Amino acid sequence: MTTQLNIAKGINALKEQIDAPTAAFFSSCVHCGLCAEACLFYTETSDPRYTPINKVEPLKRVWESEFTLWGKLKKVLGLHKPVTDELLAEWEPLIYDGCTLCGRCSMVCPVGNDISTMIRKVREGMVASDHAPEGLVGASTRAVKIGSPMGVRLKALEAQIRHIEADTGLTIPIDVQGADYMALLSSMEIINFPEYIESLAKIFKQAGISWTLSSEAFEATNSGIQIGSSDIARELVQRVVDGAEKLQIKYVISPECGHAYTAIRWDGPNLIGRPYPFKVVHILELLDQLRQSGRLKTSGQYSKRLTFHDPCQIVRKGGVEAQPRHLLGLVASDFVEMADHGKMNWCCGGGGGVSANERADEIRLTAFKRKKAQLDEVNVEVMVTACANCRLVLEEGLEENNMDIPVIGLSELISDHLTEE
Amino acid sequence: MSKQSLLDMLQQQGITRRGFLKYCSALTSLMALPPSMMPAVAAALETARRPSVIWLSFQECTGCTESLTRSHSPTIEGLIFNHISLDYHHTLQAASGTAAEQAREQAMHDNKGKYLVIVDGSIPLDNPGFSTIAGISNVDMLRETVANAHAVIAVGTCAAYGGLPHASPNPTGAVSVGELVKDKPLINIPGCPPVPTVISGVLAHYLTFGSIPELDELGRPKVFYGQSIHDRCYRRSFYDKGKFAMSFDDEGARKGWCLYRLGCKGPMTYNACATLKWNQQTSWPVESGHGCLGCSEPDFWDAGSFYRALSIPDGDYAKAAGYAVAAGVAVGAVAGVMNRSTKASAVSQHSPVSVDDFSVNKNNNQEG
Repeated sequence: MTTQLNIAKGINALKEQIDAPTAAFFSSCVHCGLCAEACLFYTETSDPRYTPINKVEPLKRVWESEFTLWGKLKKVLGLHKPVTDELLAEWEPLIYDGCTLCGRCSMVCPVGNDISTMIRKVREGMVASDHAPEGLVGASTRAVKIGSPMGVRLKALEAQIRHIEADTGLTIPIDVQGADYMALLSSMEIINFPEYIESLAKIFKQAGISWTLSSEAFEATNSGIQIGSSDIARELVQRVVDGAEKLQIKYVISPECGHAYTAIRWDGPNLIGRPYPFKVVHILELLDQLRQSGRLKTSGQYSKRLTFHDPCQIVRKGGVEAQPRHLLGLVASDFVEMADHGKMNWCCGGGGGVSANERADEIRLTAFKRKKAQLDEVNVEVMVTACANCRLVLEEGLEENNMDIPVIGLSELISDHLTEE
Repeated sequence: MSKQSLLDMLQQQGITRRGFLKYCSALTSLMALPPSMMPAVAAALETARRPSVIWLSFQECTGCTESLTRSHSPTIEGLIFNHISLDYHHTLQAASGTAAEQAREQAMHDNKGKYLVIVDGSIPLDNPGFSTIAGISNVDMLRETVANAHAVIAVGTCAAYGGLPHASPNPTGAVSVGELVKDKPLINIPGCPPVPTVISGVLAHYLTFGSIPELDELGRPKVFYGQSIHDRCYRRSFYDKGKFAMSFDDEGARKGWCLYRLGCKGPMTYNACATLKWNQQTSWPVESGHGCLGCSEPDFWDAGSFYRALSIPDGDYAKAAGYAVAAGVAVGAVAGVMNRSTKASAVSQHSPVSVDDFSVNKNNNQEG
């Protein structure tokens, strides 16, 4: 039984999203426009429609007409600007193609408005009014029905595991009851970057960590967060929680993936409405803990000139900024920072579901000019990052610009330098 | 009237032409005239004929006259003042009694329609007997003298706005000159006392152009009263940085920080003290470590303590604020409850979205 998604449901969903912080944000906005310069979709297109605060116009209208005295008065007098289906259709590309929820705008807002969270809220209204882009609908549908936004089934994972085990002689544990750590993977890691799984196995073997994958909850990517539907996001988080609780593990490891981390670490408990019986760590946090406790032993240094791309969700929302630098300190002899690195790093342009949305391909490559400019300044041979989605988007952008810079995952770089025992 | 020109007289007093020209250029810039006007100002002052001036002192303390005349050495300000034909001035004239009053009447008669009247002090209206000169009440003398004057200059805050005599409860029913003189050009030069350069500057303007300068809404020449003390104060940078002296002997006071919290009225006071300074440009109140009293503003005596900071209300607003806060909380609470119910009804109307609901998927299902 399906329900009809329409404008009335969209407006209702936007109403649901108004809470005290949102109301405070709208009333404290001073219209300074600083967020525009923080957004790569504005800086690279110079189109003022991409100003972050402009993207939340539908939510603002609902707030004003439903939650403020002045707005209610205007509504009675027929002076308010209503949220219409046409408005949402017009705003859809701004919300989905022209925003990666990277959160850079929230960092610069002088009155502290969390604009990217507000844009995430607008997506709820877009979903409820059937204005989500086809690419993200497809990814979410596959995530719910198949278990992975890229349609990766358990069989595919098992095949990759067999490969890795055959190549390396390592064991990749699956469904080990009572293990300390349960690792999650993003589909991209299974399909495009299986070396991540191999790296985990090598590092954890050396460090003597008890870990496992779950056959029921191996997918970390949460398309519900990207499309902006709490209902879908909740279902996907619940799967991970169920899997972790079934195996009675102590820690869930978020993989090298930005939104997966935000989904499982920050949004998850709020979505399911209760605390987890386990803790969530990002793989970089765990690796740095191992380094600190002397359980990560590396030898030799990577000598090529390299830089690190901070994935937005990890550095800005997660605060994982020092850890990758400590880890690079172990294994890289010629590490240079890009301008605006760390918490003010520029997004790759493909986060927040943009890379899953084919309609956004053109603007995503336009936005990549910002990353190109950052890279041109440092003149590196190799890029390192810690997000499979960033990695794929960066590779595509570099290829489009004929830049011969390979992109590698940080975990992989570490595992390549593990001391052989 | 004397045949002697101003320059001749200044030279007799030992003021060099160079000193005179410096004064003229300072005056030109003070009056916000283009630099090219300087020679015109100098030429006009050099050859200016002495206008007849009648100075009336009513309810006042003579501080305004002192401000202008009590200098340690002769100043150009003072000499400009000398240059006018001061035909009647209670404090300065040698004549007394009937002879003095005759001088006033003579000047009024000889210069009918051309003489200037300068007034310092306020005028009591409750009982004319409160202040009389030669048996004539202040109000009668003012009306009689002003009747054929060219213009009237109210020097000092008492004349301009009532000043101290007008302060609550105003026992004499004191009023300003402006409340009585409505049909003549009137220039207010408030201050308790006014800056001497401002007084002489207005006279110089009159001597140069034969007209009165542009005035603000309180009748003050804009060239001297156009900017607030605060905006031109050399301690302004401390205000901007939030560095305040909290008492007159604390570290902040010694370091010369802003006196706002000690009651300085600079932000609401328009006068030229901060730029012209006092006593031959030696210092001025804020520079000597005391906040501005706001003496060039109407009713400054009744604006609460000189030592209470401007932003602290001087009435008992605590109760009113309490009620306002309570009312605000109540309105806020009602608005909050209403908004909560708006949101709650939205939440209750929520029907979960499933991926099958998207029209893309529905169409695909139909095709399949």
